[in-house]
Amino acid sequence: MNAAHKFGTLCLLAAGLMAGPAAAETNLTVMAYSGLFQERYTKAVLEPFMKAHPDIKVTFFPLPSSAAMLGNLRAQKAAPQADVVIMDVSVSKAGTDEGLFTKIDETNIPNVKDLYPNARIPSVAGVGVTFDNLVLLYNAEQVKEAPKSWMEMAKAPYKGKVVIPGVPDIQGLGLVLILNKANGGTDYLANVDKGLAAVAEIAPNVQTWEPKPEVYAPIITGQAALGVGYNARAQVNSEQSGGKIKATIPQEGTIFQINTINLVAGAPAAEAAKTFVNYALSPEAQKSFTETMFYAPTNSKAEITGAALDRTAVKNLDKVMAVDWIALAQVRDKIAEQWRRRVLPASR
Amino acid sequence: MTSLTLCHAEPRRLGPLGTASALLLPIAVVNAIGFLWPVVNLLKMSFREAQASGALGAGYNLDTWTNALTDSFTLELITNSVGVSLLITVLTLIASYPIALYLHRSTGTWRTVLMVLVVAPLLTSAVVRTYGWIAILSDRGLVANALMALGMAEPPRLMFNLTGVVIGLTEILMPYMILALLSGFGRLDPRLEEAALTLGASPLKTFWRVVLPLTAPGMALGGLLCFVLAISSFVTPKLLGGGRVFLLATEIYDQAIVTLNWPLAAALSMIVLVVFGISLTLYARALRRIA
Repeated sequence: MNAAHKFGTLCLLAAGLMAGPAAAETNLTVMAYSGLFQERYTKAVLEPFMKAHPDIKVTFFPLPSSAAMLGNLRAQKAAPQADVVIMDVSVSKAGTDEGLFTKIDETNIPNVKDLYPNARIPSVAGVGVTFDNLVLLYNAEQVKEAPKSWMEMAKAPYKGKVVIPGVPDIQGLGLVLILNKANGGTDYLANVDKGLAAVAEIAPNVQTWEPKPEVYAPIITGQAALGVGYNARAQVNSEQSGGKIKATIPQEGTIFQINTINLVAGAPAAEAAKTFVNYALSPEAQKSFTETMFYAPTNSKAEITGAALDRTAVKNLDKVMAVDWIALAQVRDKIAEQWRRRVLPASR
Repeated sequence: MTSLTLCHAEPRRLGPLGTASALLLPIAVVNAIGFLWPVVNLLKMSFREAQASGALGAGYNLDTWTNALTDSFTLELITNSVGVSLLITVLTLIASYPIALYLHRSTGTWRTVLMVLVVAPLLTSAVVRTYGWIAILSDRGLVANALMALGMAEPPRLMFNLTGVVIGLTEILMPYMILALLSGFGRLDPRLEEAALTLGASPLKTFWRVVLPLTAPGMALGGLLCFVLAISSFVTPKLLGGGRVFLLATEIYDQAIVTLNWPLAAALSMIVLVVFGISLTLYARALRRIA
């Protein structure tokens, strides 16, 4: 797959180079998530962008995960094939530290001035392009009313019916952080004992900590009743399954997962890349993608309307707990170790 | 060197050693590029500086190795992986031996049909077969339903734990074991069994004293093959383990893809390679003893 894609991209690049000045067309390669993201992002952002910029031809380079993107960027460091990359903020930090990206700020991308403060992370070269949040997923047939608390997962009727992507996955980690705060934990960088204790109460009910391919499928089929996942994918899955899966933000609150958009250092189409990033951060593109895939916008000027407003965290910003993902990366191994010792034994 | 000789001398004057080297050269080159070189790179990667963010530092140090070798979790991973793989190998051998023996003794079209049945599972990927097991072993699956129909109130959990991994991998590895056993059954001459029976040995004794020793090389080969495949398999433990089974292969994945600690992933991969080396040595010794 990957090799074929790379080859495809190369061919397109080669074709573009041969066409050269006559066509005056720039080829821009955007590396981002495959699957639903690719489908919706192409429709909501890439196509309108190409219409507005007929001289720029955008190729989507899909990869299944941020780590795979980082792997590709590392391998291509000497001669980058991609110009723009959309990836999770913690992976973007690793790329920044390795010098793979060009810093984005108001001076090279004007729209950065309108971003929410938490979309700008000083130690990361890229800026936030989407906010997603953790949601409690439930099967609409087995759970009639939206659960009010994350601890609903610990209740007796759901024995063997709960699916959670466990630590080191961000979703399991996020659940620990939320419950840590809800139970009186103050500094999650120092310890998450209270959060782990709460998840250990849920653990006996957990069917799998490793739902594959994603957490949504077992809940749609009814194999599981409750689970933890991301809002955007939950909303799209809900739409596509005719409402079999639903999502809610419980009273304890939620956390944001941040996808950043990054300029690849030494990219072949550096100028077109800046034009594109500025467009991707514009109120117009942010609104369009939010209304198509229910990620919350990072641009404060994006005016979201209609159903999307109720289906993103936009109206629940007070329920979002701030997480410093960069600092958290330093203690992630420690949390993973405690997870193995304190949570997993409760779920055997 | 060899290729030079090949160019200048008459091919016929190449000694048997020269011919052998010339024939081995292409595969040696392929192996050097496709296997040795990546392994050297992996070894190098394991000494790279790993930063907490997941970034790779420019320098090299021993930190990853020191941490990995002093962490009790690494030891747990190694013992888990070796233990589970040995268990799977033994179960695969027990399940495959009668099938292989029957296949060896059958003839004609029937044998062809059976061979196709044995090899057919290899035509589908392990991923697809693992999903098949998920359907069979799930809480509302075939086995659980059958157990409940037989009156069991709460059937035991058959997957998303070690049980699931062992069941899935045993079935997935059976074709390899059967083929390895068959290749080793060549020495099993039916006349020897007849002779033993004629001389008054019971069928059980015949099996124990004649059949089993003669098929031991095939068992050793199949055992080695299945052990190596089991310890390096990652899709099935990932899908059927439910995040409760910690093995070297799944941990390498987590470190490489989730935590972005490539040096640690590389170090763990080297440990797997060492385990391979040890099992190869044991295999060679076992073969010598059998012979």
